[in-house]
Amino acid sequence: MAENMNSDNTMIEMIKVSRTYKPNITALSDISFSIKTGEMFFLIGRSGAGKTTLLKLICNMEVPTKGLIEVAGHNINQLKGNDLAHLRQKIGVAYQDFKLLSDRTVAENIAISMEVSCKKPRAIKQQVRDLLDQLLLTDKHNTITSELSRGEQQRVALARAVANSPRLILVDEPTGNLDAATTKQVMDLLNRSKQSGATIVIATHDASIYQQSKHRVMELQNGAIHSLTKGA
Amino acid sequence: MNFWFAVFRQAGRNLRQTWTSQLMTFLTVSLSVLIFAFFYLIYTNMLGAGDRLSDDLRLIVYLEEEPGTEMKEQLRRKIENFDDVEEIIFISKAMAYERFAAQLGDDSDVLADMPEDFLPASIEVVPLQTLRGYNQIKLFSEYLASLPGTEKVQYGQEWVERFYYFTRLLTIVVLLSGTLLILTATFMVAYTIRLTIMGRRDELELLKLVGATNSYIRTPFLIEGILQGFMGSIIGLSALYGLFRWISLHFAGPGILNLFQFNFFSFQVTLIIVLGSISLCSLGSYSSIRKFLKI
Repeated sequence: MAENMNSDNTMIEMIKVSRTYKPNITALSDISFSIKTGEMFFLIGRSGAGKTTLLKLICNMEVPTKGLIEVAGHNINQLKGNDLAHLRQKIGVAYQDFKLLSDRTVAENIAISMEVSCKKPRAIKQQVRDLLDQLLLTDKHNTITSELSRGEQQRVALARAVANSPRLILVDEPTGNLDAATTKQVMDLLNRSKQSGATIVIATHDASIYQQSKHRVMELQNGAIHSLTKGA
Repeated sequence: MNFWFAVFRQAGRNLRQTWTSQLMTFLTVSLSVLIFAFFYLIYTNMLGAGDRLSDDLRLIVYLEEEPGTEMKEQLRRKIENFDDVEEIIFISKAMAYERFAAQLGDDSDVLADMPEDFLPASIEVVPLQTLRGYNQIKLFSEYLASLPGTEKVQYGQEWVERFYYFTRLLTIVVLLSGTLLILTATFMVAYTIRLTIMGRRDELELLKLVGATNSYIRTPFLIEGILQGFMGSIIGLSALYGLFRWISLHFAGPGILNLFQFNFFSFQVTLIIVLGSISLCSLGSYSSIRKFLKI
């Protein structure tokens, strides 16, 4: 799986993907685009445009009603069992609702993505400390996540997403609850992951993080592609 | 991180998070093992006692009159026609008198006024070890009673019959307590694992999303079942051993326990009970995993 991630130049391929919810609500309609390995890609659009649904389809949290989705050369909807698990270990996701374990500490929440990959405890501890330093959360190491502010929870969710050095990082609204200084810390962290070869897909409302960037931006409107910039 | 280290740590977390229901299950399994093992111990010891007592089993056929040489041969042939026997001993009236006098010992003078032929002649038939079942002995005695010249057959019918029905009753009790063990071990463990799964639904969902394999998610629950079975059986058997030692110490001396020579389980039987308990609890755990942990 890791070999495929490195050797294939296309990380995400979507061809005529649609997603409909019962009774007859179209969340996405005929979406086709590709994202190259190592690219940073912005996904924008109003609330309800389909950004979160698109991210959920890429990480196989949901299945498309029709169309093909390939991640690292694998049709993600045909992967099952351990194959799917191993691919997911290479995908880091920071969810809009964070999905943090509210009765566990910050460190335990971040460590969970590395524990499933059976990494050594010492390496896990070191990585957790590094990430907390980078996200200005050093003093929150042993704090239960339910005691954190929304902005802090958001950064913990992001730290968990990048902790296992994934080859693909999906981030849903990473700066929604953050001030300008912290937003910069978060974007620096994502840029460092990109520099180390990761592909980053960011769904956001925050124009400040994509307007001045050279990366491609795809705008969704009512579940369809409205525009897709070429990037630098 | 080593896979086994990770799953054992997760199993430890499960036990800590749901320790009250885990404790209840653990006590129920222990108690079920204790009840089953208690009756099984009595049952095996009663069977052992029955075997030892049946070694002395002999049927006494009282005859109407002293048989001649010819008739002795005829009776021997007739007895052996029914089945092979261990031994056939003819007791004449005079021999019966001598035996009785010997049994009376110092009190044998009470026989002084009695004629030496007042006791009937008899045949002592020692059946083969293979012919020791209650029904077989009963059939054999009926056959012997039907032989011509036979007055009466005695073999301690009442005692044998009571012993037979007592062991039958014990068999039923052992089967019932075995069923109780099976039900509690499988259902209680299955129920506890189900509670744990329900309580950790969010975490299990997250584990799937971050790429945990099926075995990473499921193995801790299986370990939980194995631990319940192992600890439950060890505590149950230890309690029984304690009880056994206490009874042995307090009821030592000439009594019924000495007559039966009560023994505790052999190592092999202990191991089978422990493994049986582990298997049943694992089965309960596995059924919950299959039913409630869809990955």
